[in-house]
Amino acid sequence: MSADLHGSQRAVETLVSKLRRRQVVGSREAALETVLVLRQVVSKARFSNIDQLISLIRSVGKRLVEAQPKEHSVGNTVRKLLHHIREEYNTAMTGNASSSKTVYSISNFVLQGQPRKQNVAPKSEATLTLKENDPDDPDSFARVLKPVLMEAIQDVLDELETVYDNISKNAKDHIHSDEIILTIGHSKTVETFLKVAAHHRSFTVIVAETGPSYNGHEMARALSSAGISSFLVPDSSIYAIMSRVNKVIIGAHAILANGGMFAITGSLLAANAARVHSTPVVVCAGQFKLTPLWNLYHDFGALDFADPSSVLGFEEGNLVDKVDVLNPYYDYVGPELVDVFITNDGDHPPSSVYRLIKETYDDDDHEL
Amino acid sequence: MTYLSPQISHLVAARPMSVTMGNAIRQLKLEISGSDIDLPEQDAKDALCQKIDNYIRDRIIIADQVIEETAGNKIKDGDVILTYARSSVVQKVLLGAHAEGRQFSVIVVDSRPMLEGKRLLSVLASAGIQCTYILLPALGAIITEVTLVLVGAHSIHSNGAVYSRAGTALVAMMAKLHSVPVVVCCETYKYSETVQLDSFTKNELAPQGDLFSSFPSVKARDSLTLENDEHLEILNPLYDLTPPNCITAVVTEVGVIPPNSIGSIPVALGRLL
Repeated sequence: MSADLHGSQRAVETLVSKLRRRQVVGSREAALETVLVLRQVVSKARFSNIDQLISLIRSVGKRLVEAQPKEHSVGNTVRKLLHHIREEYNTAMTGNASSSKTVYSISNFVLQGQPRKQNVAPKSEATLTLKENDPDDPDSFARVLKPVLMEAIQDVLDELETVYDNISKNAKDHIHSDEIILTIGHSKTVETFLKVAAHHRSFTVIVAETGPSYNGHEMARALSSAGISSFLVPDSSIYAIMSRVNKVIIGAHAILANGGMFAITGSLLAANAARVHSTPVVVCAGQFKLTPLWNLYHDFGALDFADPSSVLGFEEGNLVDKVDVLNPYYDYVGPELVDVFITNDGDHPPSSVYRLIKETYDDDDHEL
Repeated sequence: MTYLSPQISHLVAARPMSVTMGNAIRQLKLEISGSDIDLPEQDAKDALCQKIDNYIRDRIIIADQVIEETAGNKIKDGDVILTYARSSVVQKVLLGAHAEGRQFSVIVVDSRPMLEGKRLLSVLASAGIQCTYILLPALGAIITEVTLVLVGAHSIHSNGAVYSRAGTALVAMMAKLHSVPVVVCCETYKYSETVQLDSFTKNELAPQGDLFSSFPSVKARDSLTLENDEHLEILNPLYDLTPPNCITAVVTEVGVIPPNSIGSIPVALGRLL
C-alpha cells in the first residue's frame, strides 16, 4: 500500500519535472497528462472524509501548477476535477441531484452566488451509504466513493479526448462557400475545424507564417494536403490582405475570466487589423482552456518568453551582445477584439465567459 | 523622346514602374521638351546631364539632409523610437540625432521575407545607439513603451496614404491604438498625385530566393521546405498601404505636413523651385 502511494507520488514527480522542462508541449497534452496523473493519485489515495481527498488533490495540483505556471490547462484540469468530485460527493450524500434549485429565493441566490451549476449527471443513482470518519473501518468511505470518482474522472478524460470533434461539430455553419479565412500559427483545433468544414464547403485559407516559430508552415502544409486551397503569407501582409478576408479564425492558449485570451504572438496584430476592417474574429478552443484568472499587468508579467536565438541567432555574432532581443511567445488579446469562442460546449461570446467559469469551477479552487 | 521610350519600356519590363521612377522620368521629359532647340547637340546634352545631376542633388541628397534635421528635432532625450524594416532616411535621422548628442533608444521591428531591419540594427548598434530587436508579431508586447514611430515610405499619395514596406500598416495601426505619434520621413520625389485605395494594385511579390537564409538557424530545415503545389501558394507581398488616419505627420524637405494636406506638396514645391 505504501508502494502504491509511492507509485502515484512518482507519477506526480515525473509530470512535475516534465512540465518544468517544457517537455509537455501543448495545452491539451498537458491537460491529458494531468488527468492521468490525478486518476492515479485518486485511485491510490487513502482518505476517510472528503476534505482529506480534496486537500490531497489540491496539494498535488499546487505542485503541478507551480512547475509551469504559464501552462494554464494544468490548473484548469485540477479545478475541473475538484468540481466533479464535489458534485459526486454532494449527490451521494444527499441522494438527489444538486441541480434542482426549485426554491428561487433571493437569499438562496445571494448566499450561493451561483444560480446554476453545471449539470453533472449524478453517477450514483441510488443513495450510497457513506459514513465519514468511521472509526472501525476508516477505508469504507474511500471504498464506496472511489468507483464513482473514477467514473467522473473518466468523464473528464473523455471530454478532453473528444474536444476536437465536438468543436468541429458546427463547423459548416460557421463557414460559407467561397469565403476567405485568415488564420495564424498552427492550432490543431482550428486545423480540425477547417478540415471538417471543408467536407461541406469550399473556401480558401490564408495562413500567416507567424514568426519566429513559423508554425504557419505546418498549418499550410496540413491544410493543403487535405485539399483546402491555401496561401502562405508572411505576417507583414496581414493588414494588406485583411480587406479581402471574411473571417479570422484563430486558436487560444488560455481563455481568461474577463473573456480575453492568451494566444500565440501575432494574434493581437491579426485581431486588431480585423477590428479595423470590421472582420469577425472567431476563436476555437476547448473548455479546458477556461482559466479563472484575470490579466491586469499584461505588458510583460503574464507573457511567456522563448529563446531569443530564433529572432537574432548567433550567426549575427557581433550584434548579439550589443542588442536586446525580445521573443514573447504569447499575446494577450482583450475581450473587445474577439467576437465568439467556439468551444466543445457550444459557442459563447466573450461577455459570458465569466458565467462559464462560475459554472465549471468552484470558487474555493481559484487559488489552489 | 523616341530614343528614350524603348529604354524606359525595357526598364519597366524588368520591374513595374514605381512612383519615384515615374516622377523622375516625367521631370526629365519636361526638361527635354523645355530645352532650347537652337542649342548644339553636345551643349543640350550637357545641359540635360546638369539638370539630372541637379535633380539628384536637390530632390534626393539635400532633401535627405533637410529631413534629417527636421525629423531629428522631433527626437527628445529619453525617447523610445520604433522603426520598421530599413529606411535609409530614417537611418540618417537616427544617426544624425545621435551624433548631436541626444539620448534615445531604438526598437527595430523586422519581418520576413526581406529582414532588412538587421542591416539597420548593425549600423545603429555600431554607432553606439541602444537598440532592441523584435519580429513584427511581438509588436503588441512592446508598443506601450514606445514614444515615437519613425518610418520611411516608398511613395505617398494625395489622400495622405503611405505606400511602404509590407508591415508598416500594422505598425502604424498599433501605434495609433496606443496614441503613439507616427512620423513618416519621405522626400517629395516620392509624391504621387494618384489616390491608392488598397494594397493590391501595384504591389510586388518578393522572389523566392534563398529558401533558408531568412529563417532562424534554430528552426529545423526540413519543416521549411514548402513549395507551391496544387492547393498551396506561397506569396510574399512587398508593400502595403497605410491609411491616412494612422499617420500623424509626414516630414518632407518642404516641411512637416499632416496627412490630409499631402495634396499641397506640388504647390509647396512650386514655391521653392
